[in-house]
Amino acid sequence: MTIEVDQLTKVYGSATAIEEVTFAVETGEILGFLGPNGAGKTTTMRIVTGYLPATRGTARVAGFDVHEQSMAVRQRIGYLPETPPLYPEMTVAGFLQFVARLKGVPAGDRVERVRHAMARCGLADRAGTAIHKLSKGYRQRVGIAQAIVHDPPAIVLDEPTVGLDPRQIIEVRKLIESLAGDHTIVLSTHILPEVSMTCSRVAIINRGRIVATNTPENLTAELVAGVGYEVEVMADEAELLAWDAIALTPTPTPDPAPSEAVPAPDPESTESKDSDSDQEPQESEPESDTPEAIAAPSNPSNLVKLSDRGAALVDQLGVIAGVASVALLQPELSHRGERPDLRRLRLRIASQPGQEPGRAIAASILGSGLGLCELRRQRASLEDVFLQLTTTEPTDHNN
Amino acid sequence: MAIILANITAIYRRELQSYFRSPLAYAIAGAFWLLAGFFFCAILLGSEGLIQQAAMRDAQGQQMGVPVPPFDLVGEFLRIFLGTMGSLSLFILPILSMGLYAEERKRGTLELLATSPVTNWAVAVGKLLAVLTFYITLIAPLLLYEAIAFSGASPSVAPGLPIAAHLGLVLLAASVLSLGMFVSSLTASTILAAVMTFALVLFLWIMDLVASAIGGPVGEALGHLSLLQHYDSFVNGVVETKSLVLFGSYIFAGIFLTAQSIETFRFQRS
Repeated sequence: MTIEVDQLTKVYGSATAIEEVTFAVETGEILGFLGPNGAGKTTTMRIVTGYLPATRGTARVAGFDVHEQSMAVRQRIGYLPETPPLYPEMTVAGFLQFVARLKGVPAGDRVERVRHAMARCGLADRAGTAIHKLSKGYRQRVGIAQAIVHDPPAIVLDEPTVGLDPRQIIEVRKLIESLAGDHTIVLSTHILPEVSMTCSRVAIINRGRIVATNTPENLTAELVAGVGYEVEVMADEAELLAWDAIALTPTPTPDPAPSEAVPAPDPESTESKDSDSDQEPQESEPESDTPEAIAAPSNPSNLVKLSDRGAALVDQLGVIAGVASVALLQPELSHRGERPDLRRLRLRIASQPGQEPGRAIAASILGSGLGLCELRRQRASLEDVFLQLTTTEPTDHNN
Repeated sequence: MAIILANITAIYRRELQSYFRSPLAYAIAGAFWLLAGFFFCAILLGSEGLIQQAAMRDAQGQQMGVPVPPFDLVGEFLRIFLGTMGSLSLFILPILSMGLYAEERKRGTLELLATSPVTNWAVAVGKLLAVLTFYITLIAPLLLYEAIAFSGASPSVAPGLPIAAHLGLVLLAASVLSLGMFVSSLTASTILAAVMTFALVLFLWIMDLVASAIGGPVGEALGHLSLLQHYDSFVNGVVETKSLVLFGSYIFAGIFLTAQSIETFRFQRS
């Protein structure tokens, strides 16, 4: 029981909702259909379930064409629309009975199928409750129950966890996972963790076009460029004074030329600078407030500040093999926490694809005499992939 | 065929179930029975009622010493009472039909029906049968009143006339409900559906007036479409094929247009 979607295009008047959407779901698979709001998820779901006809292209459920053999498709598919289709005045059991009857479940099996669907969705104790008295979470469960009551081989769920609380979301995800295997499931969502947790494959849709189809792991792996490190270094005041002394001696300072490896400080850094501008007058020296003010102070009374060391550190790290760029997140983060004499500095290091320069970075920092507080590797999350695919031009990451 | 019947039954049962839980259905039934009961009493038993009139005629005849022409009290009563019932239904029927599809559209349950293995026709027929059943339930107690009243009539009432009259009422209701169902399928607003249906039905009701105003062959053709004219002939005990065909056409047109409108709605929906 596969679901194949072949070059679907849907045009509403002059607006194109989806364009050339193609994907396939194998038996027992859960496909996550991921996209920002208005990307065309619901339109695609509606075409697959036979609710809407496509302008061009077609979709097949178990080999049946949704346009030509609509009734055969409708018998084999369970569909939870964006808003669960419920009759508020009916009881849960009565409603499911009606849906079972409508979907052509034989009279002899109906009671058992309804009981089974209710048990599966945790509704057994609400069988006699009128639907309008149920909470949002329970209504969503009734919506899922109506999609599975006739035991369809293919299930289409349009945003099944929207509006649920975190505990209910986990329950619904477990339910969906338990349905996989003997059911083929398409699940649309704009919630990223949902996809990485439940889906075996992901199709990302943006502005009506599929921009990527792959497993969640492969999608994140594709974006290794997003891998990097976040570093926090520190020095206490005594050490700064010591460096100061070194800086004042006529020994040549490390080459201060700002190399091209130093990227422009990102907006974050200027913000944090503002928030840190109310520095306590613990150090009496006037502030040199630009991080570019590299060592070699002209005024002997100036202390070399950590930010100056930081700039030197940026240069130093920038030349390590495998490092793509180094950015100072906070030019000077001073006397925070319980040790007012400690100065801290945060950096973000992006590594080149396929490289893991963590070891060299750590060695380099320790070699410079600074204290290493934190060295954390960041992996590209599905969120990064999603943002990259849906905010840049769609052609960038077609596969 | 069996599947279609099963689908119609499924829709029919669901609709009927929802009337039992709908406050609107109870309110309509209560108001209808109150008004119908009032009219029944007023027309038959009131101080200006038919029984009083008949008694006065008899008294007059005895005073004059001339034989009074026979007075068909049953026929006269059915004409007036069912005429009133027809007018009352004119107001009630749009309220009954307004929610048939508008509610489904509003709740999104149309998406469930449209993605189930059931045709638009089956849904429309099931819905129409259900709402007609509800209407028949509304007029059923009145039949009981009439049976009691007519049992005292002398000479005894031939069953043909009341049966024809009530058949006319049911056919009229089915036509109006079928058209109302179509109007309801055009909008997601129940109020709008009710107002539009009322306007449409009122227009068809007085079609013969419009027709006579227009005159000529066009006017004559339009005159045949009048609901009231054909209903009147039923109430007078005249069951003509052309009336049956007209009501049947209205019912069929309503179902056909509903099925088409739902199909179009899916194509257009954005």
